[in-house]
Amino acid sequence: MRAPVRVSVGGHVAPASVGPITATDIVRFAGAGGDFNPLHHDPEFAAAAGYPGVIAMGQLQAGMLAGWLADWCGVEHLRELEVRFVAPVRPGDTLTFAGEVNGVDPAERLANLTLTASVEGKPVVQATAIVHVAD
Amino acid sequence: MTTPVVGDVVDEVAFPVEAGKIREFTRATRTTDRRHTDPAAAHAAGFTDVLATATHVMVCGHHRDQGAMIAKLGLALERVVVGTVRWRYRRPLVAGDRLHGTRRIVGDETRSTSKGTLRVITLATDFRDDTGESVVELIETVLEKGLQG
Repeated sequence: MRAPVRVSVGGHVAPASVGPITATDIVRFAGAGGDFNPLHHDPEFAAAAGYPGVIAMGQLQAGMLAGWLADWCGVEHLRELEVRFVAPVRPGDTLTFAGEVNGVDPAERLANLTLTASVEGKPVVQATAIVHVAD
Repeated sequence: MTTPVVGDVVDEVAFPVEAGKIREFTRATRTTDRRHTDPAAAHAAGFTDVLATATHVMVCGHHRDQGAMIAKLGLALERVVVGTVRWRYRRPLVAGDRLHGTRRIVGDETRSTSKGTLRVITLATDFRDDTGESVVELIETVLEKGLQG
């Protein structure tokens, strides 16, 4: 087991960027997760649904954010993660992840974090997490 | 068709946690921890096999019929969006785990908003392993916009 991370209130998770997201990224995730909604791979279907082109499934950006977080804290130390989808992600977008420690329960050694995935400064996913941390 | 109520089971799913699927998910989500793909690294960390990524249970998309779920809840697909998704972890998943997930309705309410009505359905899936222990809970909030007047 990895050692839990040491944090302090107001501390940050090192930011990171992924992208530009490609149509291949979206198709690869569809194959991994089994989400074959044509909105995510069929441009004509997406146009009929009122979008200028295909959009990523929210689980793509959620999974990337979760991967970035777990690479930092160790997946075995992640206790809870909640994501809220606030805007679509399209091919060509670059995701930037940021996170901050809002509070620490020293008795339980649990930290509360707020996390954001954004594109050009605008949030596309807003998230909270509870992570087991060091003394 | 009977109207679904809080407490009803929407669907059930069973699947193994597979090393190959973990590798696919790791690559698809750009996760870099080698313990997801290298058994030696996972063993060195004290695990029996490679660790699943944090959102791995979403592979149940391969095993679920989302269209049937939408129909069972009486939703109009073109007006449905996913609002939030929450994972609660009791332990990390490793390759070799076998999961059984039961998805239930835990909330169903209609709210008035400035843009009309909004039906908010909350679904919770309790994933248990072969011993019957609850290992991960997945809570999804599904939003259905009302018809525009």
